[in-house]
Amino acid sequence: MAHTRLKAAAGALLLAASLGLTACGSNGEGDEGADAKSLTLWHYEAPNSAMGIAWNKAIELFKSSHPGVEVKFEEKSFEQIQQNAGMILNSDSAPDILEYNKGNATAGLLSKQGLLEDLSGEATSRGWDKKLTPSLQTTAKYDADGIMGDGNWYGVPNYGEFVMVYYNKDLFDKYKIAVPTTLDEFTAAMDTFVKNKVTPLSVGGAEYPAMQIAYELSLSKADRAWVDDYQLYKNKVDFHGPELTYGAQTFADWVAKGYIPKNSAGIKAEDMGVAFSQGKFPIMISGSWWYGRFVDEIKNFQWGTFLFPGNTLHPGSSGNLWVVPTKSKAKKLAYDFIDITMQPEVQNLLGNNGGVPVAADAASITDAKNKELLDLWTKVSSADGLAFYPDWPAPGYYDVLAGGFQGLINGSKKPAQMLDEVAKPYNDNLADLGK
Amino acid sequence: MTIVTAPPELDKTDTSTRPRRSRARWIILAVLLVLCLLVVAPILVVVLNAFKTPADYASNGPLSIPESISFQGIVDFWERVDFTRKLLNSLVTALSVAVLGVLLSVLNAYALGIGRVRGRVWFLVFFLVANLLPQEVLVYPLYYISKALYLYDSPVAIIIIFTVIQSAFGTYLLSSVYDEFPRELLDAAAVDGAGKWRTLFGVVVPVSMPTLGVLFTFFFIWTWNEFFLPLIFLVSADNQTVPVALAVLQGDRLMDATATSASALVGILPAVLFFLIFQRTLTRGIAAGAIK
Repeated sequence: MAHTRLKAAAGALLLAASLGLTACGSNGEGDEGADAKSLTLWHYEAPNSAMGIAWNKAIELFKSSHPGVEVKFEEKSFEQIQQNAGMILNSDSAPDILEYNKGNATAGLLSKQGLLEDLSGEATSRGWDKKLTPSLQTTAKYDADGIMGDGNWYGVPNYGEFVMVYYNKDLFDKYKIAVPTTLDEFTAAMDTFVKNKVTPLSVGGAEYPAMQIAYELSLSKADRAWVDDYQLYKNKVDFHGPELTYGAQTFADWVAKGYIPKNSAGIKAEDMGVAFSQGKFPIMISGSWWYGRFVDEIKNFQWGTFLFPGNTLHPGSSGNLWVVPTKSKAKKLAYDFIDITMQPEVQNLLGNNGGVPVAADAASITDAKNKELLDLWTKVSSADGLAFYPDWPAPGYYDVLAGGFQGLINGSKKPAQMLDEVAKPYNDNLADLGK
Repeated sequence: MTIVTAPPELDKTDTSTRPRRSRARWIILAVLLVLCLLVVAPILVVVLNAFKTPADYASNGPLSIPESISFQGIVDFWERVDFTRKLLNSLVTALSVAVLGVLLSVLNAYALGIGRVRGRVWFLVFFLVANLLPQEVLVYPLYYISKALYLYDSPVAIIIIFTVIQSAFGTYLLSSVYDEFPRELLDAAAVDGAGKWRTLFGVVVPVSMPTLGVLFTFFFIWTWNEFFLPLIFLVSADNQTVPVALAVLQGDRLMDATATSASALVGILPAVLFFLIFQRTLTRGIAAGAIK
């Protein structure tokens, strides 16, 4: 009794709080802070990651082009920014510029609350809109409802990410399997592994990997219009249409045929990656975020990558965004900093450290492994092939999909039944948005 | 002579029971060992991985013995988050909360347990409910209050909040202890002409010292390990506490298992040390309760 009342009170407070946030956030100031003497900058990338290294360089370049300006850099935890960005940006402790998550529930929500500065003017005058491809720009722009795709620029991505196939060359050679170029060759390759009692795919069924594999399969039957329908709510999506049905059905078949291990429903993404880097599985389908780590850590076998065979669309998006809070006291400096991160010098450094730069000069990426990654990326982005991630369209959808695919791996659900289950929260969200 | 023969007789009875008793003891020992291993196993895994290189972890997995002992993970983490500073912050917050929390609990419990103010049962129910409140409920009100008082992003906010939260539990516990406080002692103090303050600090506090010691230790360790509210209220890196600093290693999609283990190890060590130092207070406090 006491508890339910407390919860109701908490709900009311939360509501009041979010209203308060919206109300307080909209007072922009005319002063751009050009004469500010310090720039407070936050991001949450590890110092030895591609982004960490490149941004360190950017800070150095900023200091030399802005003598007399002090840069106050703080490395934040992802969790802290994820949980509290709204509260922090609405207080006097807000930084002048920070890295923030792309997407409707994060950057979209804050832009709607008026906590982020509109960067449209800077994007055109400084040419950021020329450097970024249309599907990269999707996650940088948000409309008045905080939905990505159209409207004003609220963030600028420096890097991209996409899902590809990692494979163990030693194991491919051992069973004399060539790199597949079509989906049929890919399934034939996995059949060969199964025949030799090797489970082909390392899958983390408890987290994002399973849903990304199924989405990859759905995309093999889809076009850009379908992606826009699913992700940007342009038209209603039929969950029993050919795309999603093929994805769910083929995923279930892959489990039945033994491509996806039956016990993977409880495996986390981290364990999936470690299992692949131990050489226990020949193939792993996952994102470019593993790349730099594999370059550093896989010493016992040769490995390579290829794009999911036959697809032009791949799960992927821009990376996280640089955003400027409306409470920033040095907006002009913040824009200068973003501009520096888009310069070839910083972008090339990002590419040379296992990251996926959005505006690098391909000729200056020298390392063979990094070049391989950039070539794959160029193939995806030049075909405008980023199809975002399956869990984006609705809040809390990640857990819904993860649960759905766990059901498929366990065999406790049929594909059609699972699609019905995941359709409901999607359509509920559409109703909430008034679409 | 009888005295000399007595011991062998005792011995005889001893030997007849020893096999049975010792067998039971061995079984108990074995069961305890298994339980102990179960408890220690996760910590052992942490220790094992804290000293591995990332490449070693990637190729041999979490359960292998390190190929070579590497302190790099610990050193890197220490420098990356300026861990000395975080330790100091945590120490100051946890100590302040422990001292203030015990003080507040004693004052409340004195009024409720010994003073027997009217409606004390309802006070206790209130404190119990306050104890059961999830911290998530408190976040927004506290955020607005602290902003209005210019305490947002200040360790003072955390000290005040946790002093209140911990003393809610302390009051509840200590009130029931003081409820049973020997009346004769209080009467004796009154006869000697001691006022309310004198009685509190001259009689009640010294007598209940062991219990207060237990409260102090628990408050310290609980506050030390708090993550959620410090994460929200301590925005600047300079103000952050140890558990918040540990979260820096958990990225968006990736985690660095060796660095996380290293940081977990240096993160729990201070709390473990504190526990070992005050472990005797704990046993004494519990024993003091048992005798009464």
